[in-house]
Amino acid sequence: MSEPHAIDETLWEVPADARPDMRVPARVFADAELFEAIARDGSLDQLQNVATLPGIVGAALAMPDAHQGYGFPVGGVAAMELPDGVVSPGGVGYDINCGVRLLALPCSEAELGGRRESLVHELSRAIPAGAGKRHGRARREHELDAVLREGPRAIGASADDVERTESGGCLPGADPAAVSERARERGAGQLGTMGSGNHFVELQRLVRIFDEETAEGYGLAHDQVTVLIHSGSRGLGHQVCSDYVQRMDAAMRRYGIELPDRQLACAPASSPEGGAYLAAMAAAANFAWANRQAIADEARSAIAAVLGQAAAKGTRQVYDVAHNVAKVERYDGRELLVHRKGATRAFPAGSDEIPAAYRKLGQPVFIPGSMGTSSFVLAGEPGSLERSFGSTCHGAGRTLSRTGARKQIHGADLRRQLGAEGIVVRSPSNKGLAEEAPFAYKQVERVVEVVERAGLARRVAQLVPLGVVKG
Amino acid sequence: MAYRWVEHTSELELEIEAASESAIFLEALNAFAELVAEEPSADSEQRDVEVRGDDRETLLVAWLDELVFLAESQGFVPERTTELEVGAGLVRATLRGHVGEPRDFVKAVTLHRLLFAANGDGWQARVVLDV
Repeated sequence: MSEPHAIDETLWEVPADARPDMRVPARVFADAELFEAIARDGSLDQLQNVATLPGIVGAALAMPDAHQGYGFPVGGVAAMELPDGVVSPGGVGYDINCGVRLLALPCSEAELGGRRESLVHELSRAIPAGAGKRHGRARREHELDAVLREGPRAIGASADDVERTESGGCLPGADPAAVSERARERGAGQLGTMGSGNHFVELQRLVRIFDEETAEGYGLAHDQVTVLIHSGSRGLGHQVCSDYVQRMDAAMRRYGIELPDRQLACAPASSPEGGAYLAAMAAAANFAWANRQAIADEARSAIAAVLGQAAAKGTRQVYDVAHNVAKVERYDGRELLVHRKGATRAFPAGSDEIPAAYRKLGQPVFIPGSMGTSSFVLAGEPGSLERSFGSTCHGAGRTLSRTGARKQIHGADLRRQLGAEGIVVRSPSNKGLAEEAPFAYKQVERVVEVVERAGLARRVAQLVPLGVVKG
Repeated sequence: MAYRWVEHTSELELEIEAASESAIFLEALNAFAELVAEEPSADSEQRDVEVRGDDRETLLVAWLDELVFLAESQGFVPERTTELEVGAGLVRATLRGHVGEPRDFVKAVTLHRLLFAANGDGWQARVVLDV
């Protein structure tokens, strides 16, 4: 049977014999309705293309928030056998280590009270967004090298923040020399800036706890105020990906690799091109973690200005997770290079990769909803290691194009609507705001329910927006 | 000669039809200018650019990549070309525009569904931009 079919209530499969060039099956975590949307927008074809990559093991996977991308679908996961399986820069994406960081404030929404609007305003002043991209921290060359090598530690991150960051905010093997001058030039001055598109900083309130013990372990309580930061490696990461997609596109013939889509350009991880990309990607990932650190520092300054120094000092980092990255991990005794493109690592309790404080609970995962809707805190579950190379979803997932969203609503109207719901919005662009309208995304509740039923991650807490600063 | 934006769930797909190869590059510039321009302004700045590529497709990607780079690193908003020379594996151009606050909109130029081919009497091209 080479047609797509359900394996169980949350897993669908296109068998490897559906196309002569597929090496493994393509599998999608979804309920029937989400699967239909994924099959409709071309992402299933893209996932089947991923299944053709040399060295891929198990299956090419898509999460329930998957949607059409370029090369890989967004929400795709692919694990390659090392040393000779391929690495594909397009399988990580242009925004290397785009990810999310959650800060927990030492106050409840009731205590925040009437200072909410002031805090959102101060966050928007403190964190450069959108076109204000060149107003970030200027970095001298040797400082940038340190950021690329070490991540947040190079800009003075506390030991506690570093501990509560995936991979300690520093991927091994990062080499600043593998990052082009052009990439450095694009990244110069962008540290501590949010960027545009779907990036945001959101002020939130915790409204529901699903798992008391884990929420307490993560330091989260009912009615608590949180700040969720979504950003990545900015122009530096975009250029690293562009450089290496082009380099691998030119080199593939030498390795005898033929692909159904040029954007999947790849080379063996053990090749000079593969090694150079992994060194540059690690540097860009470290830059992204430092960027979210700098934004967190700016958020703490805003908190200090509005709520006082004690509140800023008491603002703890819950965790920071990457959405776009390739990492070496071990499964069943094999060393694999796991590409996550719009997917989150979700290791279960017991993993050495999890901070000691969370090791009995599972790794925290944050799933932002669309603007104006809920976000969820999850914890990694054992099923992720068994079924999805330690991965889960990363967001709600787009279902409507940007132009489609703009046709349905004007940014100014959306701003008013959100305001009427009590959500304070700060955004430099009405056009950008309209493109991120909630109806352009799938329902995050549905996506999260699927990964829980599939055993990849469990729900811990639900957060709702109080205010949002958009890029 | 025209360009248009095709529906894509998360990115922007650009389709161009033109009478000549060089007009494809001109239309790509016009499309990019539409994306980054906020307000009309005097074209007070000039940039001389030269990009290379192994084939027509990669040359088009390199051309758009250069525009992304100038917009992001220098705030250069292109408006028109005063000179445009398209040769084998090479595009040279003089761009006129202004330095301002371009919309930080295009992250990258992808190779996904990339096309640059003869079409009847003219040429057609397709490129997906990551935004």
